[in-house]
Amino acid sequence: MSKTVTAQPPSTLSRLWHKWRFHINILLLLVPLGFMPKYFADASLFRGDSGLGERDVGTVQVGPWSLQLAELRNEGPRPDGPAGYMKSFNAALSDSSIDQVKAAYLRIGKPRSLRAAGVIFFGTPYRMGATLPIPERTRADAELWITLEGWDGSMHQASIPLSQASPATIAWLAQRGAKQ
Amino acid sequence: MNSRLFIRPAMTAGLLALLGLSGQALAHNPMCECKSVEDGQIRCTGGFSDGSGAPGVTLDVIGYDETILVPGKLGPDSSMTFKRPDAEFYVLFDAGPGHIVEIDQADIETP
Repeated sequence: MSKTVTAQPPSTLSRLWHKWRFHINILLLLVPLGFMPKYFADASLFRGDSGLGERDVGTVQVGPWSLQLAELRNEGPRPDGPAGYMKSFNAALSDSSIDQVKAAYLRIGKPRSLRAAGVIFFGTPYRMGATLPIPERTRADAELWITLEGWDGSMHQASIPLSQASPATIAWLAQRGAKQ
Repeated sequence: MNSRLFIRPAMTAGLLALLGLSGQALAHNPMCECKSVEDGQIRCTGGFSDGSGAPGVTLDVIGYDETILVPGKLGPDSSMTFKRPDAEFYVLFDAGPGHIVEIDQADIETP
């Protein structure tokens, strides 16, 4: 009377898993390390430690006021579903302008009116952000208009070439081909 | 038996994949679309890029000389229909300062 229990031989996959599972899990723990440089770069960018944005545009004089402008990302516009392509800019008002400026707007092309001055900057005056829609038929020689509205009701405008504000956007437009 | 061994690694991989998807910031930019409908009318539909509608939001039809030709508000279905003005015009979807969409008459397709 012999009871023989024949154990099924483990499959190759099972054998490999049991042999290497410890090492594979160590590798899994290492995966996040690969994302660390990007994580710390982003954390520093959003905290402001690495400046206003990835690419500084410079200081723009708008009437009696001035502001420093920067591209949040040094890249072409990002799609936002049916709203089209968006490009983010950051700005900081100069110390002397902070108390006097009520609102700042950004638009491609000269605004028709204060009501249609474009997208508004929000955030603290030391570091405010605006997300600008980039129409697909934007021309390479387009101008970026900055409108500042004062608490006293005055309004001042200035423009800089889009090629100066964001060369990456110009490159993106050229790559997509001109649409009229 | 073998399949059970792989449940946990598969779940871990799934979790990592989900984390990768959460990168895009959630924005709600205003958007507006106008098109010509029958009888020389124009229908404009507003909304926000997060998928929400815009009932009751102001939509004005403004002439190139800045006179307001058709003042209006979007209906419960986030749309408004008006007669195409004779003068040159643009459509302004106005959800508040800095939350606007302008549509020039040249960008409204004619059937």
